[in-house]
Amino acid sequence: MFLLSICQWLDSTRLNAAMRMSSWFFPTFDTIHTLGIVMVAGTIMLVDLRLLGLALRGEPVAAVVKRIVPWTLNGFALMFVTGTLLFSSEAVKLYHSPAFRIKLVLLVLAGLNALLFHLTIYRDAANWDPAAAAPLRARLAGLLSLAFWIGIITTGRAIAYGSGYDLG
Amino acid sequence: MAIYLQTVFEWMESTTVAQTIRHSAKLIALLESIHLIGLTLLLGTILMVDLSLLGFGIGRAPVWRIAKELRGWTTGGLVIMLSSGPVLLSSEAIRCYRTPAFWVKMALLVIALIFHFTIHKKVAFEEPPALRYRARWTACLSLGLWASVALAGKAIAIFQPQEEPIIQSTAPLPHPPGAPRHS
Repeated sequence: MFLLSICQWLDSTRLNAAMRMSSWFFPTFDTIHTLGIVMVAGTIMLVDLRLLGLALRGEPVAAVVKRIVPWTLNGFALMFVTGTLLFSSEAVKLYHSPAFRIKLVLLVLAGLNALLFHLTIYRDAANWDPAAAAPLRARLAGLLSLAFWIGIITTGRAIAYGSGYDLG
Repeated sequence: MAIYLQTVFEWMESTTVAQTIRHSAKLIALLESIHLIGLTLLLGTILMVDLSLLGFGIGRAPVWRIAKELRGWTTGGLVIMLSSGPVLLSSEAIRCYRTPAFWVKMALLVIALIFHFTIHKKVAFEEPPALRYRARWTACLSLGLWASVALAGKAIAIFQPQEEPIIQSTAPLPHPPGAPRHS
């Protein structure tokens, strides 16, 4: 398997050995990674809840997005960098983890959902009536985003406990 | 007092609920996820209010309006955390009792809660808006306190109590690709 050999190569690097030798590397980066996820999910949830009309109803969608999404992207950068390092410290182990695979799929879906939203429905956001509910497709995007992020958090936790983690 | 508390913690761990969770990795993972989702909701909404206090609000919306619109969700996050937390605690109550990070977290949590429902609430809902320095201090304290609670929570898992020997990995490094790390 192509992916597996990449993971095996990652596990055999000097960087990998250094990361696993270190007693502070994993706890520190795991903590930053968790804070990153909380930042991403915590901020995007506000946008999702606004799209669904469940929070911040008094503020226009565009104003909410404009203020909050930069924080989401910063949190994502933090999460991505620390996540990549954490992954490369135990690549083969994670390759065999079903929870990790599901988490990655959900991450891609969450990204596609956000991208699609911004490139299509959101372009018209300035014309939405602030007093009325957001268009159905926008609400659907919000609901999907909520579901994906809850899934990402749950599968992320499951990686540490799920079957497959101790295989390799 | 200490002996009384220890008895309470021992009793917590002896309950059926605690024992069931203790022996199920799936239940622990699920409860931790719920706890984290509660944290996400709590921190996300508080961050938004604190950003407004710092002058990075949504459009020209006054802070009190943002605070009012998000109050319910902050409470929701808190309720999720405060109901999943004790259940998680019960599954390893004795270990937590011996872990300093746990007590640090509890102390910070009490301070954060008192601060949130007194000073923070008062300043966020002030009309006309609080003076700039008052708003800034409140926001910084709020963010600092809640971040500390979260970090102390993570520390519970990282720092094991002193009574137990610290288990060091004896796996050879780097281990052969694909080979089982533990026999």
